[in-house]
Amino acid sequence: MQITFWGVRGSYPVPGPSTVRYGGQTSCVEVRADSGACLILDAGTGLRALGQKLAREAGGAPGNYHVMLSHVHWDHIQGLPFFEPAYVPGTHIAVYALLTAADELHQVIGGITRHEFFPMPLESVPADFEFIEVEPGVAMRIGDFDVLPIALNHPYGAVGYRVSADGTSIAYVSDTAPFTEILHKQHFVSGLEDLTHDDRSALDRLRGDLVSALRGVDTVVYDTHFLPEEYARFPYYGHSTPDHALDIVTGNDVRCLVLYHHAPSHSDDVMDQVAVTYRDRGAQVGVDVVTAREGLVLPIQPARAARGGAGA
Amino acid sequence: MKVRFWGVRGSFAMPGADFLRYGGNTTCVELVADGGGRLVIDLGTGATELGRQLMAGVFGAGKGALSILLSHTHLDHIQGLPFFTPFFVPGNRLRILGADPVSVGLEDTLQNQLAPHYSPLGALENLSAQVEIETLVPGTSLAIDGFDVMTAAVPHGNMWTTAFRIAADGKTLTFLSDVEYPAPDQPTREALELADGADLLVHDAMHADAEYGLRKGWGHSPVSAGVHLAEAAGARRLVLFHHSPDATDAMIDAIVADAQASSKVPVFAAAEGHYLEV
Repeated sequence: MQITFWGVRGSYPVPGPSTVRYGGQTSCVEVRADSGACLILDAGTGLRALGQKLAREAGGAPGNYHVMLSHVHWDHIQGLPFFEPAYVPGTHIAVYALLTAADELHQVIGGITRHEFFPMPLESVPADFEFIEVEPGVAMRIGDFDVLPIALNHPYGAVGYRVSADGTSIAYVSDTAPFTEILHKQHFVSGLEDLTHDDRSALDRLRGDLVSALRGVDTVVYDTHFLPEEYARFPYYGHSTPDHALDIVTGNDVRCLVLYHHAPSHSDDVMDQVAVTYRDRGAQVGVDVVTAREGLVLPIQPARAARGGAGA
Repeated sequence: MKVRFWGVRGSFAMPGADFLRYGGNTTCVELVADGGGRLVIDLGTGATELGRQLMAGVFGAGKGALSILLSHTHLDHIQGLPFFTPFFVPGNRLRILGADPVSVGLEDTLQNQLAPHYSPLGALENLSAQVEIETLVPGTSLAIDGFDVMTAAVPHGNMWTTAFRIAADGKTLTFLSDVEYPAPDQPTREALELADGADLLVHDAMHADAEYGLRKGWGHSPVSAGVHLAEAAGARRLVLFHHSPDATDAMIDAIVADAQASSKVPVFAAAEGHYLEV
């Protein structure tokens, strides 16, 4: 199995000289099994370039694609109308998502191509779309992959995914706040709110379920949008820092942590510092910390036993 | 009057080394009158950087006032709205003016953009600034903060967009983005009127002419449509705008060179960060 990063940015795409090396497109990761089977994690603006590559590979033939959405904030869906295989008749695209703040998944996804936003409504796009709701904790078999959706802590909800194939696994954990200061629910938040006893229990449960799901996973891709000083100002935005991510994976038999969903304000120079700082912190606790950049391809190690106890 | 281009790209924002000189941000243009009045057209991703710049001034203190014209609400023209930081400071007064080219009204469209499933902002009411949404009817003229604005509907594929002719300080800028005429050499009457004698004509140039045949009907112009209109309307300078997301800096250089060879009107390509005297 291997994973390729097509978009690593959070919130909105950021062109310009300060994002050339790490990339400016928003969330999109391609997962490939050794068989060649493909799973797409999130459909941010990075999906456009992935779609161009998949269309070239298909050579004009219709295909079957699976797109797993963490949630449907714009930075995770904006690439969908620009996914080239969608314009090949006979193509089937299954979109998996958590239903948040709406009644119908197809209306939410279809809404991004309503005529006020995009020239062609989803009904007119040649590909055949299927919308499948996911439920945290309920595993799914998708082609050659075993997929477990994991509940996260983000405004109106988000899910991570553990994806297993070829005797190994990765996990995609974006977007999420840590599980300490705020429990995100189905309402607008403009600041921290008092936590009830039930809220604290819910946070403990979310964190516990996430840690269990990640145990023994080879590579974990994690929302590390903020630097610690930024998080301190915006703890209610629904994002984590690299320290929060390290806290979740440390001692959990995870080989590699990938820092992901970089804040749009983080220049390449800032990301270089983040990369060095957290590579060193990871080394202290036996976790390889890698900072995602557009175009990065990570082979996923097939045998956990060969790791020699890293992370223990 | 000066004009500054904060986003010049069409359809899709393009980060990367191939898009540095002309810029990869989607549509956003700022006009500044000699007296200091300011008017913004469209809120593509270019608006994020404009917002940061404005926050360094009175908008950071909640004392800013700004009117924003929207050509239409396709995402590349509004995707910077949720990240335009002056919206988040109480006291700022922001007015968004646009037409209703589809069955959904402008305010409902922007509410839908910020709906909880799409955005943590949830609704326009959650923006801290005072925000007014005003529907304009193309064909009407408006006086906004020292700018005289004429508006007209122009064809854009299966819909229409609003084009603008903006005058201040005795100079005139015409903004005609996201437009496709019946043929490149057949501009509509409204386009000719808006561009008549303009000092600067900013025009949709999404397609190189060689590619246009494959993309006819998609709602965008080949470069020659802007050249033809500039010549027919007697515009003084033509600015190619709304560059294709596939057009690298080198490709735009070639497009400009071709246009310059054929145009009787001086022509160049809009580039992010350019500050031009109209």
